Amino acid sequence: MISTILLIIKILVLIGILMGGFAYTTLVERRLLGFFQLRLGPNRVGPQGLLQPLADGLKMALKEDLMPLGADPIVYRMAPVFSLFAALSVDAVIPFGAPIHIFGQSVSLDIANPSIGLLIAFAFSSLGIYGIVLGGWASQNKYSLLGGIRASAQMISYELAMGLSVLGVLMMAGTANLENIVLAQRTQGWFFIPQIVPFVIYFITAIAETNRTPFDLPEAESELVAGYHTEYSGIRFAMFFMAEYINVLTVSGLAVTLFFGGWLGPSFLPPILWFVIKVAVFVFAFIWIRATFPRFRYDKLMSFGWKVLLPISFIYFLGTAAFVSGLL
Amino acid sequence: MIPFSILAVVAIAGALGVILGKQPVHSALFLVGNILALAVLYLLLSAEFLAVAQVIVYAGAIMVLFLFVVTLLTAGKEESEPPEDLSGQRWTAGILAIGVGGALAVLAAGHPGPKVAAGLPVNFGNLHGIGHLLWGSDFLYLMALAIMLLTAALGILVLNRPMRRTHVRHQRRKEA
Repeated sequence: MISTILLIIKILVLIGILMGGFAYTTLVERRLLGFFQLRLGPNRVGPQGLLQPLADGLKMALKEDLMPLGADPIVYRMAPVFSLFAALSVDAVIPFGAPIHIFGQSVSLDIANPSIGLLIAFAFSSLGIYGIVLGGWASQNKYSLLGGIRASAQMISYELAMGLSVLGVLMMAGTANLENIVLAQRTQGWFFIPQIVPFVIYFITAIAETNRTPFDLPEAESELVAGYHTEYSGIRFAMFFMAEYINVLTVSGLAVTLFFGGWLGPSFLPPILWFVIKVAVFVFAFIWIRATFPRFRYDKLMSFGWKVLLPISFIYFLGTAAFVSGLL
Repeated sequence: MIPFSILAVVAIAGALGVILGKQPVHSALFLVGNILALAVLYLLLSAEFLAVAQVIVYAGAIMVLFLFVVTLLTAGKEESEPPEDLSGQRWTAGILAIGVGGALAVLAAGHPGPKVAAGLPVNFGNLHGIGHLLWGSDFLYLMALAIMLLTAALGILVLNRPMRRTHVRHQRRKEA
């Protein structure tokens, strides 16, 4: 009974943290983009613009929820929900810190710790594409449809390289349990050193999976208006927006867990703080890349995924397999 | 028994939705629902790896490709079904399906095999169990399947390779 209550509390806290993280990631992104582009960014609402996310949230919640006349009503309404659900559920298996002790009980910080946590994370994140494709299709709009179709082709192509890039970590740690992967890095050292090539491939594919610049072709605003969410407004648009930013936090969290030792770090800071700091570095890198790189051309994006990333990650995967099994 | 019944109803409803849906995209979505219900059924059997593989491979990859094609083909098209060549196909198929399904269900309930009575093997459907099966007793089948899939992939490459220029010229001359 107590464990069930504890679980519900943990789920609510995690959703709260992710929503807060989403809100302030948008603010950080806008401020940083401002500095990258030699302007100020939003700094009027509250000190340093700190209340801007609240104002934006209120605006989104109060806006009218529009639906195009020819749209498929059920699919149109459900698409953003799918997106947000998939984005949130991946975080259930990420270990945020070492177990803490409250009231004489040891409480682990992750919601679930299944033995195949890494695969479950990939299973949920592979469902996130449905929201985008269905949103694009149900809008009955050429630009939305093109965005949805682009998203499905892109995510299928990059998911393969992403899956292959994390297999090396899986083999080195000898487990698919995310907590044990973190603990394995305590003895073997952080995995980004032996797995530097897969890490780079993971990071590139993570940007592509979250549909961010330079891989933001599904919503390329200079050609497709806003791609799959052109027709969405109000709270449903906000859900797509939340899903994108929570996905950024999630792939950063997975990268930290798999390649950068998760919550491990010198003991002068608590483990969870190390985790947050590492994730923040990744989020900064995401924003930095957005401010720096122009968008890919579509055929280059596809050939880069299939002809460069996939073969390299496959060869490195085979090499790691030979090394781990003792052939080399 | 209650979770199984709920999941069975969801899975059957999904399967019915696939064939009864008017829009191809709706059919594809019902199929996704069916696949997810099956995955949870595997979880009930504690076959966690099978469940996750079902979601990653079928729901996450194959059905996305289905949706890709379906959305591309049916974009902006009014749905108007061509008249069927053979009338009464649906009724015949439905009656036959119910007959075969009923016969199988009666047989399965009346004569449970020895494996059903023995219960689930150790490590059924989890990472270790599947790994031992694939790289142990079933290794030959795994290799056979791998060669088959590789042949299919190579076949696509061969069929879609760009034509050589001399070949094209030769063909043009023939056409002329």
